[in-house]
Amino acid sequence: MSSRRRLAAVLVGALVLGGSLIGASRLGAEEGAASPSEPLPSILDGIPQSGNALGSPKAPVTLVEYADLQCPYCAEWTHRAFPPLVDRYVRRGRVRIVFRGLAFLGPDSDRALRTAVAAGRENRLWNVVEGIYQRQGHENSRWVTEALLAEVAGPRAVASRNAPWVVAAMADSSRAARMAGIAGTPAFQIGKTGERLQTLPLSSLGPEGIQPAIEATLAS
Amino acid sequence: MTERALRLATAVLALAGAGVAGYLVWVRETGATLVCATGGCGTVQSSEYAEVAGVPVALLGLVGYLVLFSAAFFGGDTARLAQAAVALGAVIFSTYLLYVQVALIGEVCDWCLVSDAIVTLIAMLALLRLRVAQAPPASSIRPADSA
Repeated sequence: MSSRRRLAAVLVGALVLGGSLIGASRLGAEEGAASPSEPLPSILDGIPQSGNALGSPKAPVTLVEYADLQCPYCAEWTHRAFPPLVDRYVRRGRVRIVFRGLAFLGPDSDRALRTAVAAGRENRLWNVVEGIYQRQGHENSRWVTEALLAEVAGPRAVASRNAPWVVAAMADSSRAARMAGIAGTPAFQIGKTGERLQTLPLSSLGPEGIQPAIEATLAS
Repeated sequence: MTERALRLATAVLALAGAGVAGYLVWVRETGATLVCATGGCGTVQSSEYAEVAGVPVALLGLVGYLVLFSAAFFGGDTARLAQAAVALGAVIFSTYLLYVQVALIGEVCDWCLVSDAIVTLIAMLALLRLRVAQAPPASSIRPADSA
């Protein structure tokens, strides 16, 4: 066999072997993404998600939530105000909510937020945020375990939580919070979609603390 | 460099690679703590990219290194060609896995980097072995040939 034919045979063999392994690996990863951990029935079912946004992109009002996943007040707001808000405004296409996660309370905040942001690429960020709040533990008690993250987010989000795009998204949220002058959580901005947002003073962690501002923005 | 020396060097490197892959298989099977300087080995090894069609990548690596090790002991042309093809295929797959670690997972496993280096060296030696085997022996070149 000539040296050129030998080299060609080697290259073909290498490409077939390497290509098959890469193809099988990608196929397995895509199947993993298509079947994440079985989601629990949720108030979010049937509502479109795109990255960190919940609700129709055509909704006339946008509400931005700044939250730390370890913050007990954020969890309380999510338990009390979020469900009626979703039913009354988001599900009906009137309000779109954007999650801007911050991680200033400690390492557990960081681990939880990274995973939630990573789940955003699968359009499941809000499910993960909801799941983490339901399981929230004492601040920085290492309650954000690998098992918890795998349960609420699935293996793909857990595996990609340190990816450069996750870090960039988190930095983007921190920058937005600084520009908005956010000093604590939960904090909110509201406005007509595509227009300038106003920081919203929160009078209560119940639905009554935010509904008047939503109604006023819808009516404006 | 003689083919014999290249085969010996390949065998030693393949044995080292098998050691790395074997360690990763052992950790996976026993649940032992993975020694890791970069801190990213656990994330990489538990990711869904750590398996191909249900087979752990570390086990595939172990089998691949054993094939390369075996090919170093055979002198025929088939062994040379198979060794070069398997080594180059492994380099292609290793490059893809390096991309996955850096761009998709965001963590790097240092054991994978060691394996990448070993398999790249083996591929270079395997190509060199093909070249050496193809060249006519020095004793067959007569003065008249080079005139």
